[in-house]
Amino acid sequence: MGNILVVAEIQKGELREASYELLTQAHAVAGAGDAGRKVRSLVIGSGVADAAAEFAGKGGGDTYLADAEGLAAYNVNGWEAAILAAAEAAEADLILLSNTPSGWDVAPRIAAALDAAFVSDCFKIEADGDGLALYRRVFNGKLDAKLSVSGAGPVVATMQPGACAAYEGTSQGATHPVEVKLDGAKAVFVEVKAAESKGVDLTKADIIVSGGRGVGDPEKFTEVIQPLADALGAAMGASRPVVDAGWLPHEYQVGSSGQVVQPKLYIACGISGAIQHLVGMKTSNFIVAINKDPDAPIFEVADIGIVADLFEVVPALTKAVQEAKGG
Amino acid sequence: MKVLVCLKQVPHSDARLDIRDDGAWIKDDGVKFEINSYDTYALEQALRVKDAGEAEVVVVSIGPDRVTQALRTALGMGADRAVHVNDPEAEGSDPLGVAKILAAVAAEESPDLILTGFMSEDGNFAAVPPMVARLQGIPSATAVVQCEISDSSVRVERELEGGAMEVVDLEMPCLIALQTGANQVRYASLKGIMQAKKKPVDAKTVADLGLAGQVGASAVKVVIEKIYRPDKGEGAEMLEGSTGEVVSQLVGKIKELGLL
Ligand SMILES: Cc1cc2nc3c(=O)[nH]c(=O)nc-3n(C[C@H](O)[C@H](O)[C@H](O)COP(=O)(O)OP(=O)(O)OC[C@H]3O[C@@H](n4cnc5c(N)ncnc54)[C@H](O)[C@@H]3O)c2cc1C
Ligand SMILES: Nc1ncnc2c1ncn2[C@@H]1O[C@H](COP(=O)(O)O)[C@@H](O)[C@H]1O
Repeated sequence: MGNILVVAEIQKGELREASYELLTQAHAVAGAGDAGRKVRSLVIGSGVADAAAEFAGKGGGDTYLADAEGLAAYNVNGWEAAILAAAEAAEADLILLSNTPSGWDVAPRIAAALDAAFVSDCFKIEADGDGLALYRRVFNGKLDAKLSVSGAGPVVATMQPGACAAYEGTSQGATHPVEVKLDGAKAVFVEVKAAESKGVDLTKADIIVSGGRGVGDPEKFTEVIQPLADALGAAMGASRPVVDAGWLPHEYQVGSSGQVVQPKLYIACGISGAIQHLVGMKTSNFIVAINKDPDAPIFEVADIGIVADLFEVVPALTKAVQEAKGG
Repeated sequence: MKVLVCLKQVPHSDARLDIRDDGAWIKDDGVKFEINSYDTYALEQALRVKDAGEAEVVVVSIGPDRVTQALRTALGMGADRAVHVNDPEAEGSDPLGVAKILAAVAAEESPDLILTGFMSEDGNFAAVPPMVARLQGIPSATAVVQCEISDSSVRVERELEGGAMEVVDLEMPCLIALQTGANQVRYASLKGIMQAKKKPVDAKTVADLGLAGQVGASAVKVVIEKIYRPDKGEGAEMLEGSTGEVVSQLVGKIKELGLL
């Protein structure tokens, strides 16, 4: 059996926290298996020799270095070539990436290239005899799934950022350059556009009243969600489908591709609690969830849950708040 | 220009999710299906290419008879032709199996552009599109919210974290996997639905595509052992009672927090 290759990521010049989380996962699998797997790593970028050396010493073990000007920014062809070269050099049969914009863009291509088993967005991977047990969410977080891999071929997996703690151990490892052929790339990086500055800064609000797809339509937002926000002196927020449908502008979106907020009180109305929403609000000081589905995952992160029709509870709450303030 | 759109039919977002007796997936009898929301944005993007000039839009879906409904809807919205891979031998494929089938269809159709959804709302894999591209030897980009198409290339904006965008140029032929919200999806018009009845739907089997024995449940590399309701952690304190009771408890809590 082969080794484990951890594909690290550099963001704004630093190794990402998520890359150290991959190491935690990799060492857990390597330590538990009876296969004598070793942890190897790959750092990709331009002028990243120091980062590679750092990673090699902090758990990455022997670390491959794909260092070239053409790799300064993420590029699907460059990353694919670098990962395939490192996987071969490392004799890897388990390749781990983070489920980040770079990871989800390239990882399935690596699996296709190697005719490998592929499992995305795992929150846990365990060595199971000489196989693997991989755990991930399905149906937008409403159900979990346990998967296994059949056959002895290679496995490519991506890990959900934040699913486990960052690795804190050390390792002895050298860095080894890998040659990456970059000419002939059919995808060319142009630029990164920074997030547009927000007219609405939800990160400063003490209270946020957020509505999701369960609110139903834009009029209901004005009739039901807005009055509660007004009564509480709160800002209004939303889940992605609300913004996708054009009920509210993007600056109201809470989540991984919107704003990450941490108010004193977050009230989620008609929001199911998909992971991409949760990462944007789960560290709020106090969370109230109103949802008619008792199994909605939002209740897992909430301090208080109410299983009910939001159209009954929210207007009643608005009234009660107005009375409490008036009295 | 020829555009191939990959559509998957998935359980409706409000469908009850009852776990099958073998534990490996949900029961799908009696469940209402719809086109995967991500894929509707891909279809809309394809129809915009057609609106802007000359293009043939071909939709493809792998799935049982019920998938006909999704293909008819797409034809009603303006797609020209459909390919339906309807074969029990395809059932139970893992994402790589699905990708092999779609890549075989793409090899037959030779589109300039393949448009897909970013991920399926049931399995949440986000795996098939880059696999199809790699199998076809073409470039790909995922989580795309904007495309600008010129003669031989496409400039896309990919969504990064926190609202940043990555701009990438892809040489055609290429594959683009769309994120939700990329556009406003049109509805099928009555006229469109009438016309759709005359549009061709090609049925294909796995053997037709030269993939006998290479895809389907018997060829999976990834096995779903079981699906289950997530372990309830500590969870929330659930407020019970009439609306009035629940609301007054909640107001009490907000007061305790010093926010009222
Ligand atoms: C790369 C990526 C990035 C993403 N970024 C984000 C992001 O930044 N933010 C984000 O929010 N999502 C994001 N998403 C989307 C995310 O996966 C979910 O699809 C989304 O969060 C679901 O929104 P929702 O909870 O409003 O809708 P749904 O999941 O459809 O949930 C609606 C809920 O409303 C409840 N409901 C319906 N009617 C009522 C009623 N009358 N009373 C009470 N409850 C009711 C239902 O029970 C259900 O739980 C992202 C996805 C991807 C793949
Ligand atoms: N059975 C299928 N038929 C057609 N297209 C599919 C099928 N499964 C997946 N796709 C396409 O691949 C995308 C991502 O799916 P997945 O990798 O399963 O999350 C979907 O949005 C579809 O565009």
